[in-house]
Amino acid sequence: MVLAFVLPLLRVLVLSVTDPSVSLAHYRRIFTTPLYLHVLSTTFRTSLVVTAVCLLLGYPLAYVMARRGGRLSGILLVAIGISFWTSFLVRTYAWMVILGAKGPVAALMRLAGFSPPQLLFTTFSSMLGMTHILLPYMVMALYAVMKKIEPGHLRAAASLGAPPRHAFYHVFLPLSLPGVVNGCLLVFTLCLGFYVTPVLLGSPQDMMISQVIAQQVEELLAWGFASALSVVLLAATFVVIAVYTRLVGLDRLWG
Amino acid sequence: MIARRTFLKTAVVATALAPVAARRAAAQDNTLNVNTWGGSWTAAEDAAYFKPFTEKTGIKINTVTPVSFAKLKAQVQTRSYEWDVSTINPPELRQAELEGLLEPIDWSLVNKATLTPTQVYSQGVGAVALATGLAYRKDKFPGGGPKSWADFWDVKRFPGTRCLFNRSFTTMSFALLADGVPRDKLYPMDMDRAFRKLTEIKPHIKVWWTQANQSQQLVRDGEVDMIAIWNARANELAEQGVPLEFVWNQAESYTTNWFVPKGTPRAKNAWRFIDFAVQPKPMADFCNRLSYGPLNPKAFDFIKPEQAQKMPTFPEHLKVGFTPDPAWLGQNLAQIRERFTQWLAT
Repeated sequence: MVLAFVLPLLRVLVLSVTDPSVSLAHYRRIFTTPLYLHVLSTTFRTSLVVTAVCLLLGYPLAYVMARRGGRLSGILLVAIGISFWTSFLVRTYAWMVILGAKGPVAALMRLAGFSPPQLLFTTFSSMLGMTHILLPYMVMALYAVMKKIEPGHLRAAASLGAPPRHAFYHVFLPLSLPGVVNGCLLVFTLCLGFYVTPVLLGSPQDMMISQVIAQQVEELLAWGFASALSVVLLAATFVVIAVYTRLVGLDRLWG
Repeated sequence: MIARRTFLKTAVVATALAPVAARRAAAQDNTLNVNTWGGSWTAAEDAAYFKPFTEKTGIKINTVTPVSFAKLKAQVQTRSYEWDVSTINPPELRQAELEGLLEPIDWSLVNKATLTPTQVYSQGVGAVALATGLAYRKDKFPGGGPKSWADFWDVKRFPGTRCLFNRSFTTMSFALLADGVPRDKLYPMDMDRAFRKLTEIKPHIKVWWTQANQSQQLVRDGEVDMIAIWNARANELAEQGVPLEFVWNQAESYTTNWFVPKGTPRAKNAWRFIDFAVQPKPMADFCNRLSYGPLNPKAFDFIKPEQAQKMPTFPEHLKVGFTPDPAWLGQNLAQIRERFTQWLAT
């Protein structure tokens, strides 16, 4: 575990301060060139929005799947599974076709009588694609926890006089929070490293940090600088998670 | 005195291992790993280079895809070689040479007499040229489309959706040309002037493509009316029935060059292969299949005129195009790229 995980991370850290010479020049460059901080902030902003949207859409979906059971649950599970297992590149190209100038959405708008605005290569299309691809992760994480919540608890609440809204808010929601935390962390982290979808569906203003790092590694052979960018990304991620933990009281969740 | 059993055991094991060892040693002498792009590129290489080369020399060729500049550095640093020969473009060649990643050309194996002087740059030997140029949909411009980069920038006379290539120096060269800079004065590049001109056209650019397939899909889907695209890709679209016209005027010619990573044990095989591949006939065979331009003018003796018209190194096209300056780019690529990315993202 140490060999496979910690050692490469240490190597990246060492590279960031030793390649090409021992200095903190890379870090200075990251914090003084406007480009990198801008891209980092875009990356975090995008990830937060996509995580929030995934949660808003995924929670009701997982709730229905977990509580209803039976055929509906099975059908939804299969639908989410198929989406999950379809290559994300295929799904990205599908969105390019759907949102394109000659696609079905534009055609529907024209039928309705108004000229369609540009849907593709915008922040909207980029976030839509990412949300679509990451939603199954959120739903699976939520479903796994929700399925284990005893329906008996909710019945007990009802028998004690709680209306359904109350029962949900005071019984179900707190019990499902571990799933919410899992799902959010998972989707957020995955979104930070997203590369292909923002490139194909978004505009250059939506560029994520992974694209910059890939450029530095692949085209410029600037491995020291790429390592520094990665370290900054990792550190920023830890900070966000620490803040989130404090706010949500992670440590208390599991008792 | 060695016990009989021990002797027999050792003998059996040795006999069993001997052919393996011999095969491995022979394998070292008789194989070559070539790094290639895959798809139609590799298929053309296979027919034009690999099969004839193996027939002639008996050296077996394995292909490794895709082409990765970063892998070059990783291989040389770790001394573990996945491939022994590959192609890159001149600025990358210069950058690799400065970082000590290239094997110097072995002139005892490469026949200098068959090469043209401009074919050799740094420690690489020129193979083929690709061109990036203006292409427009003929059905959107029935009265004639844009013929130069100044036309591309003229949104009043040539209205329509536009797309440019997300590669810094290429697009900046086009901007400078649109601003009136003559082709031979593009380098050293006046970056401020290029960015001023680019800022003019920025609101009119619908998308900036990064992958070749993406550029083709954008044209096929009708998302863009004019685009900066690679000539072979434009040619492919035209052959598939898309009414696309490629403009050779002010197109950027970009070369791919064979090279050998420093320290590979199969360097000798690599140079033998390179010597074979840059001969006029194999080069012509490759270029005929893909419509890239051979860098050895003698190859045109083997190419039919109609095919030659589609190639970047056809003399008529060379007269109106330009090539980037590899020395200047080798020095400034990181800086120019950073500035371009920043301009694009903000």
